Amino acid sequence: MRPTLLLPLLSADALHNPLGVVLTCVIMALGLIIVLLAYVLNGAAEVYRENEKQKEKAAAGNVPPTALLLLAPILADVAEPAPIVHSFSGLPPFIYYTLVLVIAFEIGVVLVLLFLLRNLLHVEKIKQAIPVPAHQWKQLWFKINRFKPMQEEATLDTGHDYDGIRELDNRLPGWWLYGFYACMVFAMAYLWRYHVSHNAPLSAEEYQISVADAAAAKAAYLAKAANQVDENTVKLLTDASDLAAGKKVFTTTCFACHGADGGGGVGPNLTDNYWLHGGDLQSIFKTIKYGWPDKGMKSWKDDYSPQQIAQIASYVKSLHGSKPAAPKEPQGTLTNE
Amino acid sequence: MNENVSLADSPSQPPDMGHKSLQVEQFSYDNKSVQLFAFATIFWSVIGMLAGLLAAVELYYPGANLNLPATTFGRVRPVHTNAVIFAFVGNGIFMGVYYSLQRLCKARMFSDKLSRIHFWGWQTIIVVGAVSLLAGYTSGKEYAELEWPVDIAITFIWVIFGINIFGTILKRRESHLYVAIWFYIATWVTVAMLHIVNSFERPFSWFKSYSWYAGVQDALVQWWYGHNAVAFFLTTPYLGLMYYFLPKAANRPVYSYRLSIIHFWSLIFIYIWAGPHHLLYTALPDWAQSLGVVFSVMLIAPSWGGMLNGLFTLRGAWDKVREDPILKFMVVAVTCYGMATLEGPMLSLKSVNAISHFTDWTIAHVHIGALGWNGFLTFGVLYWILPRIYNTPLYSKKLAGTHFWFGTIGIVLYAVPLYWAGFTQSMMWKSFTEEGQLKYQFLETVTQIIPLYITRSIGGTLYLSGVLIMVYNLYKTVKAGHLVKDEATSAYPLPKAITTHGKEHWHRWIERRPVQMLVLSLVAVAIGGILEMVPTFLIKSNIPTIAAVKPYTPLELQGRDIYIREGCYNCHSQMIRPFRDEVARYGDYSKAGEFVYDHPFQWGSKRTGPDLAREGGKYPDSWHYNHMMDPRIMSPGSIMPNYPWLLSNEIDTASTAAKIRAMQSLGVPYRSGYDALANTDLQTQARGIREQLAKDKIKTAPNAEILAVIAYLQRLGTDIKSVKP
Repeated sequence: MRPTLLLPLLSADALHNPLGVVLTCVIMALGLIIVLLAYVLNGAAEVYRENEKQKEKAAAGNVPPTALLLLAPILADVAEPAPIVHSFSGLPPFIYYTLVLVIAFEIGVVLVLLFLLRNLLHVEKIKQAIPVPAHQWKQLWFKINRFKPMQEEATLDTGHDYDGIRELDNRLPGWWLYGFYACMVFAMAYLWRYHVSHNAPLSAEEYQISVADAAAAKAAYLAKAANQVDENTVKLLTDASDLAAGKKVFTTTCFACHGADGGGGVGPNLTDNYWLHGGDLQSIFKTIKYGWPDKGMKSWKDDYSPQQIAQIASYVKSLHGSKPAAPKEPQGTLTNE
Repeated sequence: MNENVSLADSPSQPPDMGHKSLQVEQFSYDNKSVQLFAFATIFWSVIGMLAGLLAAVELYYPGANLNLPATTFGRVRPVHTNAVIFAFVGNGIFMGVYYSLQRLCKARMFSDKLSRIHFWGWQTIIVVGAVSLLAGYTSGKEYAELEWPVDIAITFIWVIFGINIFGTILKRRESHLYVAIWFYIATWVTVAMLHIVNSFERPFSWFKSYSWYAGVQDALVQWWYGHNAVAFFLTTPYLGLMYYFLPKAANRPVYSYRLSIIHFWSLIFIYIWAGPHHLLYTALPDWAQSLGVVFSVMLIAPSWGGMLNGLFTLRGAWDKVREDPILKFMVVAVTCYGMATLEGPMLSLKSVNAISHFTDWTIAHVHIGALGWNGFLTFGVLYWILPRIYNTPLYSKKLAGTHFWFGTIGIVLYAVPLYWAGFTQSMMWKSFTEEGQLKYQFLETVTQIIPLYITRSIGGTLYLSGVLIMVYNLYKTVKAGHLVKDEATSAYPLPKAITTHGKEHWHRWIERRPVQMLVLSLVAVAIGGILEMVPTFLIKSNIPTIAAVKPYTPLELQGRDIYIREGCYNCHSQMIRPFRDEVARYGDYSKAGEFVYDHPFQWGSKRTGPDLAREGGKYPDSWHYNHMMDPRIMSPGSIMPNYPWLLSNEIDTASTAAKIRAMQSLGVPYRSGYDALANTDLQTQARGIREQLAKDKIKTAPNAEILAVIAYLQRLGTDIKSVKP
């Protein structure tokens, strides 16, 4: 029955619609799960039948699981999707309902299979007497792991023997089992929060939040700090500590292009009277702050604070007229400042 | 070491009372194959770890490469990872499987000839692989670097291995499959699937190809593969080995059969989904990232099921652990497994991943797994197997104990500094001044952790010294004994129909049916991959297109291939995550649509150097020229190696046309017939860069590789920049 239901989907280009693809994927996944369960169920049924045979009882009361699978097409034919005019995320209503119906049906089959499996398996709950070790912590350890005393080991033996390796059938440690369940609950809640109720920020939203927080913090800081220097208000700094700070940045960063002594290299000589973008303090501040990316000078405003840029610019000014070891030839226009 | 080394097992009870007519069959186990794989394991462990040590030293002493291309970090690191995973652990798997499978099936390996082809084929692949990686032939995808002819050879040998193990399983004399064999079956089928899907590539020459997938899709497939290579090459086969060798060495029954069942099926089903946790905060769609997170968290219990079954098996045998170095190795191995598989899910939480990813934290994490779990379990198995197949006691239990302590202290000295380094560097990256500026230049965050890199290499040296002690110990053992090539044994044949009696556990049904076991394992591992990949490939909205993003020019393409050849991705990411510090440091965060022509993607997984996703236009051409010649000219204290050969090598212009055609066939929209014109454009662009360099008094040969590399680096991330004002 599934191929006939899927045919109209393929012809209707459902595979080009995001919702259609998702639903089809779910259908395929459920289909795989059904196949898997059917396999297991078949196996379990076989074991069950063998057990029954050995008990020499008639197996009359059992509904073979395959019979239920045969009922499936009938169930599917009964339901007819109601025609509604609007579309679902660009998916025609007929296809949408068909897909949803197939999913609902598949979920039904999965539930039935699980139910049958559970009945077949007869999961036996054996009440266990918890041993009482002397020490309190040890007692707790025994309890959370559901240990059986060593002397009762024989009762747990499965009788399996592989090249001399025997297998016990201890119960699953309680904390492990409930931890596993807890992780599943976590997974569901996580997906729900991020993708259904949308009350946790996804990556891009998280970024917007962090930027807004940082901007607010920065504004608060700048409002009280005497740090509001820009290219219009910058003043030449002459304190030794300011120049030392400028020098530190210069000799660890700027030197790469301008030479350790400012004599130039890839970038221009900063000690002569020739300037490409102006040699006054304001212009130098501006050049450092915004850069001239086309010519290889990057903008440093994200790396250094206005105060630091003022220190660097002041240090550059202090280099004027010094005698670098290997000065680069003059570039730009002659300016006497 | 158990003192009585028994060779001939007494035949087990007849399978069923109703088959009195069955006669005990005499046959033998093939120990020759086990011996070969054991020797290969030992040999490659030393080689793989030496490569790792060289790479570790190069991180604080870049000159250790002697200025040779082949010994440079970008090429040595893939050799190290591939050698350790596929040569050391690979041979370790085969050694353990060939030993245990025969005994668990009560049958000799299916075919001695296939065993031999498997052994020599695998060693040939390793040698060819290592040489090709050192020569710069790489696909540029981590842990799948080997190029297409080697990929085909791997597939072929893997099929041989499959036929050999399935042949053995089918002619077994044991009615049911033991849990170790379930893990072997799942390993075989999943590795086959992973390798084939991830290795889809379009060859354009005898030894080079482009990945079939591009950008986000390539990243998803690659980390689905990469993550599950850890799962199904480093974990499941080794769990199989643990289930055989640990109960054997401890002489204790396996703790819980039902725990085996639940943790086996849940492990293989859930593991597959977790791949996207390697791509958190990247341009991968959010829903896929979230699946990666939640399945990683759900993976804790299935993984710990293995650890608990191992450790609880030792109940009543802990006194032996104090005495027996083999058990000591195994206990530390299983404990490391438990630690690594708890840490993994923790690293998959986005808030933790935001700190750990791209740092040495990840390196520390994987080495807990590799050195602790894989290494120590392999050593335990080697100490157990070799005396047995040589019919002699181990030469020195004391030396094995010494090895154990060298290894354990080595792991601690290796991992602790790297955890420290990773956390420190990440915190430095994220530090801002109160003015809202980045507090540290990238290089400062590197020089800060160099002492930790040095300590780590000392830890590695210690671990390797322990291995050398083992080599000596095993050499003396082997010398003293004599290989029992064919170990005689006997067992009852399998009756035609396996009858069961009494109430039977439902899972016993499939334990009698290896083929169904194979099919069900494949179904279990196929679901996660399909549900993550199909939507990413088919739904357009997952990768919104950006009109400004254009294919690479021929020169840039050549430059990109050189970038891949030199393994730049081993240290440089190309993925700016949506974090305030990364946007401030590198530029606007990366978008899925930017990578649509990237065959293969080059997002990287570690930032030993800065991110390069928006490197274009940040520095002048001459800066790059000088920096490639000697990074320390432009960045004093840099740990990047020199690339002088880029200045003298010539661009392989003969390959341009084939490369363009290959890209066209992968859907990159070069206009038809462009392959014939590509070299003209290449020359024009190269001339432009030469002229730029000439302005800064740098002379270059017209076709020097550096021109292509500069062209590529200057292009990176600029498509999207040009859109913005």
